[in-house]
Amino acid sequence: MADFQTIGKSHIRVDALEKVTGRATYAGDIYLPGMLMCKLLTSTHSHARIVSIDTSEAEALPGVRCVITGKDYPDQRFGSGALKDRRVMAIDEVFYIGEPIAAVAADDEMTALEAVELIKVQYQDIENVVDPLRALAGKSVDVHPDLEDFEGFGFALGGNNCTMLDADRGDVEQGFKDSDVIIEETYHTQPISQGFLEPMACVADVEANGRLDIYASTQGPYQVRAQLASVLDMAIGNIQVTAMEMGGGFGAKLRLALEAFPAMLSIKTGRPVKLINTREEAFTLNGPRLETNIYLKTGVTTDGKILAREAHSIFDVGAYLGAGPNAGVGHGLGAYSIPNFELRSYGVYTNKIYVGSYRASGVADMTFATESHTDVIAHKLGMDPLEFRIKNALSEGDTAVNGSTIPKNGLMETMLALKEKMGLPKKLTSGPNEARGVGISVGEWRSGSGPSTAAISVNEDGTVSLLTGSVDISGSDTSLAQIAAEALGLRLDQVIVAKRNTDMAPFTGPSGGSRIVYSQGRAVQNAAEDAKAKLLELAADRLGVPADALECFGGSVYVQDNPPESMDLGQLGRMSLSSRGGPIIGTSSLSSLPYAPVFNAQGAEVIVDRETGQVRVTRFVQAQDIGKAINPMGVEGQLDGGAVQGIGRALSEEILIDKETGEVRNASLATYLMPLSVDMPEIENILVEVPSADGPFGARAVAESPGFGPPAAIANAIFDAVGVRIKTLPLSAERVLAAIQGRTEDEYTVDAEELRKAETQ
Amino acid sequence: MKKQLKITVNGEARQVLVEPYYSLLDTLRDELHLTGTKKGCDEGDCGACTVLLNGNPVCSCLVLAHAAHDGEVTTIEGVANGLELHPVQQSFVEHGGLQCGYCTPGIILSTVGFLESGEEPTEENIKHALGGNLCRCTGYSKVIESVLVAVKATGKWAE
Repeated sequence: MADFQTIGKSHIRVDALEKVTGRATYAGDIYLPGMLMCKLLTSTHSHARIVSIDTSEAEALPGVRCVITGKDYPDQRFGSGALKDRRVMAIDEVFYIGEPIAAVAADDEMTALEAVELIKVQYQDIENVVDPLRALAGKSVDVHPDLEDFEGFGFALGGNNCTMLDADRGDVEQGFKDSDVIIEETYHTQPISQGFLEPMACVADVEANGRLDIYASTQGPYQVRAQLASVLDMAIGNIQVTAMEMGGGFGAKLRLALEAFPAMLSIKTGRPVKLINTREEAFTLNGPRLETNIYLKTGVTTDGKILAREAHSIFDVGAYLGAGPNAGVGHGLGAYSIPNFELRSYGVYTNKIYVGSYRASGVADMTFATESHTDVIAHKLGMDPLEFRIKNALSEGDTAVNGSTIPKNGLMETMLALKEKMGLPKKLTSGPNEARGVGISVGEWRSGSGPSTAAISVNEDGTVSLLTGSVDISGSDTSLAQIAAEALGLRLDQVIVAKRNTDMAPFTGPSGGSRIVYSQGRAVQNAAEDAKAKLLELAADRLGVPADALECFGGSVYVQDNPPESMDLGQLGRMSLSSRGGPIIGTSSLSSLPYAPVFNAQGAEVIVDRETGQVRVTRFVQAQDIGKAINPMGVEGQLDGGAVQGIGRALSEEILIDKETGEVRNASLATYLMPLSVDMPEIENILVEVPSADGPFGARAVAESPGFGPPAAIANAIFDAVGVRIKTLPLSAERVLAAIQGRTEDEYTVDAEELRKAETQ
Repeated sequence: MKKQLKITVNGEARQVLVEPYYSLLDTLRDELHLTGTKKGCDEGDCGACTVLLNGNPVCSCLVLAHAAHDGEVTTIEGVANGLELHPVQQSFVEHGGLQCGYCTPGIILSTVGFLESGEEPTEENIKHALGGNLCRCTGYSKVIESVLVAVKATGKWAE
């Protein structure tokens, strides 16, 4: 199939009109009769025993309908993965500043806030843990001394290590012995926020029969349903989750977040309850990212072949394991074929906000380290950084870290496309106080898999209704509709994307890890093929020809050899109502798809101001292997947005953590510095299309890959410009200036020896 | 104690009783149920709550409702003419100037306000006009493109 009618062409988003007119309904936009407003009381202590909680004054305040604490929930722990280490609310101990302790439901928000201030908590401080390296080395108290009793404990070493992952291949020692040059370095990445514009929101409404209706801002309605059932000790079937329009999630809204608070208050009061997080809570309650320390050691030959790699990473996960350190192992090698390696990755508890997912969690940290390191090695060998990468690039048939075989992919094509567009390498001319430089970075993410379902019903007018359970966080509804339209030979406006909730649509995995277009898209294509087969069968019966002599296109089914002999889809839809098979529904269900890597190569040009250390990105180019761009305008939008998030991570974004208390010191958008329109260059995108074997029409994932390359590309460009190598994010003006002036007062510089010692204690 | 507020919203005269501490944003959303205006931070940092007050873009979270007494407010619900989109809205739709849509109403109102301000619509001026509107999804490229196309469509482009 060479000529596509609907896919591969840019289409207006199916939700665009709702959004530009302000009609799109987000969870916070729901107002129900009799609805109460909820506010939370959170911990002001970093690590403390709760001696007492007195809610009597709050309860006595007029307008307050209910106050709950941790004791109102079943004695249950839950977790984001296997390890169940977290409670909905603290009971007798708090583990970080910002941890929920009580919730109030009142007639209005102001009364709820007043009531929160009337709740009295007595704390008894316990020694806290802030430094993850000391925590891992056993030089501080254990955050959770009962870790070994938690359900799902198994991958941890104990102490403050809550999870450890490893991967080994070949003979690393021999690999280093055979190497001509060995380079050993450490890198440090900063705590960071997903920065979604819509603070999390939820309305919970208990029905007369005790069922719970949840209207949520979530990427994973089925995951919220299951986790909520677990923490409330309810049957899954007694909860209905409606995923409302979502104002950005980027991984923060994958799992149960604030829904349990209004849910319990609604159960207790019998009334609808709404909770909207404040911006401050968006930093402390939604699982951002904390610091990562990465040690890398690589052995190469003088002619530029990598022989051995050690990559050890220590991920600070805060008070609970909200997201694991998987990337530390999965992305320790970068996009390269390395015969001998030893990869270790540790998740470490501290008394800080717990860590959640953020757009290819951990990959940005690892890629900053590995791709800066790659640049360091190339320069040490006197090789061009791109040629060095090409020489060591993974290719089809190689074995990935996890043992799977690398399938056909576009890694080489993306690197060559980048080279052609940027004209690498070149020396840029500089002004008197300004230096210009160029740097590159290459990275990989896999197309997301997991359970996916779709159903397509044919309406009496020949339109079709598409039902999937996935939340649209990236324009995926439009892409899914295009896939259905293409498979059925329809126009996009003949596909209706149904609004859905967990009662209505079949189970599907969350919208995360770049899995919707690849996996859900495959299910949609299969469902459309299923519907098409049934349409052909019905038409064959009526036209008196075999089904395989028919084709479905342009809103009708026709005889391939004699196109005028046809039936339109509306006719068939109406006929099906009284046909033997009944109304036509195509369905599909799948649990996973094979590994399909998504490579992305990026190049940044920067200007560094030698007097201030200020770095400006003046040009940014990226080439990504898309497989097949279903909706090119949507793909470009994802690539633009991912790259700019990465530029923010590179230059300005950082959650500042108090070194004594672990508290977040800049929980506001005035002090947490995300990119603005005035800061950003135009992003130049190259869509490379090397089809995947299993994605719909060859499509691969899109959204994750553009986000993790910018920090290394920019750090490498800074080195090119002014000859200094910054190994700590963000690449702030202060840090760059200090490096230019030869000052080494960087507080985060971690000694390799110190890091290795921490993990071997 | 609640006080009477007289305000014209999207051309309609409205009277509501609101507390003296209520912001214009909370009044629009909670009292008038015009939920197209979004709350992203409630601190004036993100621009999601931008509306036009007497023709000028303001963060409605930073304006006390009673400070807008007798004023004229345009929210996102008042930008289109019935089902007919404003050229700025049309351009955002056609050029992918939105993704999650949460910042979109604020960005559209900042743009409409800018176009009516009489300031010269150069690319740099447009970027500055949108400097107070955070967007986390688009990376701004397609937002700026959408505005540039809209400017040209309204015949205000000075090249």
